[in-house]
Amino acid sequence: MIPFLILLVAAGLTAPTAAVATAPPPIQLVSPPAGIRAFDTPNDAGKSITIQWTPGKEGKTETWLVERTGPEGPKVVSTNAAGDIGYLDEEVKDRVHYTYRIAAVAGADTVWSNPTPAVSSSPQLFNTARLNILIAMVIFFVLVVYYIETAKKGKNLFVRRIAGLDAVEEAVGRATEMGKPIIYVPGLGSVADIATIASLNILGEVAKKVAQYDSALLVPNRDPIVYTVAREMVKESYAKAGRPDAFKPDSVFFVTGEQFAFAAAVDGLMVREKPATNFFLGMFWAESLILAETGASTGAIQIAGTDQVFQLPFFITACDYTLIGEELYAASAYLSREPLLLGSLKAQDYGKLLILIVVVLGSILLLLSKTPAFSVFSHIAGFFSIN
Amino acid sequence: MKFFQYLLKIDRRIIYIIMGVLVMLPLIRPLGLGVTSGPRAARLFHAVDSIPAGKTLLISVDFDPASMPELYPMLTALMRHAFAKDMKVLLCGLWPTGAGLAIKAATDIPPEYGKKYGEDVVYLGYKPGVDAVILGMGENIKNVYPNDYSGRPLDSLPMMRDVQRLRDIPMVVALSAGDPGYSDWLRYAQSRYGMKVGAGLTAVSAADAYPFLQSGQLTGLLAGMKGAAEYEILVQKNGYSKAYMPAVAAMDSQSLAHVVIMILVIIGNIAYFATRKRRS
Amino acid sequence: MKRNIPLAICLGMGILMMVQFFVPHPISVGFYDLTTKWVRIVSAFAVVLGVGSFVMYHSEKLRRRRAGWLYSIVALVAAAVSTVVGLAWGVKQTGPLQSYIFTPLLVPLNSSMFAILAFYMASAAYRAFRARTRESALLLVAAFVVMIGMVPIGAHVPFFWFLVVMAVALLVAGFVTRSKALLIGTGALVVGLLVWPAFWKFKVPRLMLPDTAEWVLSVPNMAAKRAITFGVALGGIATALKVILGIERGWLGGGKQ
Repeated sequence: MIPFLILLVAAGLTAPTAAVATAPPPIQLVSPPAGIRAFDTPNDAGKSITIQWTPGKEGKTETWLVERTGPEGPKVVSTNAAGDIGYLDEEVKDRVHYTYRIAAVAGADTVWSNPTPAVSSSPQLFNTARLNILIAMVIFFVLVVYYIETAKKGKNLFVRRIAGLDAVEEAVGRATEMGKPIIYVPGLGSVADIATIASLNILGEVAKKVAQYDSALLVPNRDPIVYTVAREMVKESYAKAGRPDAFKPDSVFFVTGEQFAFAAAVDGLMVREKPATNFFLGMFWAESLILAETGASTGAIQIAGTDQVFQLPFFITACDYTLIGEELYAASAYLSREPLLLGSLKAQDYGKLLILIVVVLGSILLLLSKTPAFSVFSHIAGFFSIN
Repeated sequence: MKFFQYLLKIDRRIIYIIMGVLVMLPLIRPLGLGVTSGPRAARLFHAVDSIPAGKTLLISVDFDPASMPELYPMLTALMRHAFAKDMKVLLCGLWPTGAGLAIKAATDIPPEYGKKYGEDVVYLGYKPGVDAVILGMGENIKNVYPNDYSGRPLDSLPMMRDVQRLRDIPMVVALSAGDPGYSDWLRYAQSRYGMKVGAGLTAVSAADAYPFLQSGQLTGLLAGMKGAAEYEILVQKNGYSKAYMPAVAAMDSQSLAHVVIMILVIIGNIAYFATRKRRS
Repeated sequence: MKRNIPLAICLGMGILMMVQFFVPHPISVGFYDLTTKWVRIVSAFAVVLGVGSFVMYHSEKLRRRRAGWLYSIVALVAAAVSTVVGLAWGVKQTGPLQSYIFTPLLVPLNSSMFAILAFYMASAAYRAFRARTRESALLLVAAFVVMIGMVPIGAHVPFFWFLVVMAVALLVAGFVTRSKALLIGTGALVVGLLVWPAFWKFKVPRLMLPDTAEWVLSVPNMAAKRAITFGVALGGIATALKVILGIERGWLGGGKQ
């Protein structure tokens, strides 16, 4: 018995231990994402956190999972495609702390990163991405103020001849001689458009001349607000010219808000009234050639001006004089010769010169930045980008 | 000499008649000049073609009836392409005057492919406020458009179950006749939500978009009626449609119109130089 | 007082909106949204004034039987019918306003007006495109390149042969006008054309007219457009500043006090 027992014990001691069913360590097909950054989205109104990461070294991720942990607990907030390694979380509350984890998913394998440090969002008071615009604005404002002060001191500021504006007097005189009306179209834009404001300023000067020469003026309008401003403008101009009685209220009228209906109405007006002079000053779109060509067919002198670059070729082709781009804005200063207005015109010109210098310098420096010695200049382009 | 002087002062109506006849003739009897697709249209075509079946293509109808000849063929060609590839089409618009055209397209095109409104195509309608609309759609389309153009709740439309926000849509093609248009989609949808943006523009404003195409911000560009014709040709050549191609048909007329204008300009210059020589 | 209050409002709002552009805070964004809503509300009021002017203008024309008074009847009737239909059935995109007025009437009318451009372009080009100076001659050549390059016909035209045709035309023009400058310039062009085929040996890609047209549009055309845009932008800023600061007061209804 005892040998049998000894044999049993020996067998027990030497018997291999029963295999504990431990699973082999999982083979990770993909490594977790690295370099995870979670930060308050800059230059925004708050309630937004930006999360960025880079793929891990091993494996090929198929999708990313973005998990946010806040007061409500963890929640997967986004599933991104493989190439999309960033997320803008806009479902957060300001001044509440959150942490984020990113998971790399490849097949059945999901590997989570460590959580990020706690981050909270808040609104910013200044958009630093627009600092370049602020600097440019300040420089330009300083120029404007400087030249206005210079003009106030009585310094003579040279402004080159603008043929289209010199022809205004001649055009109004022609209408008086022929006994035909003048049609003034202040564009199809709203009063919020700068070109419309510039056009209305010119309308004031033209209306004054019309009142002095005792001609007829017709001002069709597309925008109701522009109509009200234009009517007041023309009425004041007649009063300033000492002819308040000559103002006819229905010479300034609203036509329609529809673009081509307006063009058709003005065309009809031109064909019926056969004006001696047409002014097309302001914002115009596709109807520009329709207006200008119909006016040309009636034999009128035409002076046009717009800041819509695509419409300029049509006006140049069909009109006798065209104010190109900023010449329209210069018109009120040119016609009135008021020192304050001339001063701002000068500032515009120097602003353009500055832009020219910056463009040339910037181009040269960017070219140089391709060489290693001057690579620091490659950041220049970033300073001029607009956000 | 009198002949040249007559040419200089020729009645406009004769020019109008010549133009009218030469533009109409190819529409009645096509010249068959043929249209070959350019790289820009091909780029957009391949971008749309790579969208997987079942996904949604967003088309923004930002034009009015005046630009219909150039941009409406783009809309129909894009929709045919999408339906042939079993994609869904979501239409919206930043122009109020584009509504009728979008409704027409949403009504006419789907039956050609056996597609149904609500399941394969939805038109959201027009909403004012450009940036608010796009940014709102980026968060939740139903916040901006609780109903479609006809007042049906979006929740009741099967197609909208899988399309909650702009991130669920891989690409938007903005068919724009001006402002607002593709630049707003680039500014908001692409930079914020990473959507691919394609554009279909009128010929006049297409040159403005070249820098965006060169920088890669725009995934493709269709310029004017020629762009529409190129896309139609690509859709047909790849077997996605056998429908009538209005832009292709109109290209013969456009070719003739350009040639006529050139000939008229040459004649005008000959008459000018002949009479000038005589005057000097 | 009558002028000072609007000027003060203009100054205050102008400065506030300038500041708003740089401040992303929700208060700033809310202010911007409020302002745009106010603009829409004020515009809606202005429509009433506009419609009033429209009705008065056409009624007066009708009353006095001025030239074109029949069209005034059409205008007034159209306005009245649209108003009644819109008020009665709403402005839904499937309503009668869309189905019976907008789609069958306005759409074809708008398209027709736009189509007039084709004819007007032909007559304007015939009348105005004269090679009076060297610059206008260059403009004409560029216009021809773009016009042919942008249509299917141009896809089959190599730029080389286009230049050959141009050279022949310029030679003829040179002999007719007996212009030495034109003949010398054309001679240089001919020499260039004779040398060009030599580059084909090095397998330089054959330049087709559409490629040239695209280059004209995206390089010199774009450069000129951007130059004008710079000036327009600065002019716009200066004008806006003048309005905000009250230097430009024309919009108030007249000149300075």
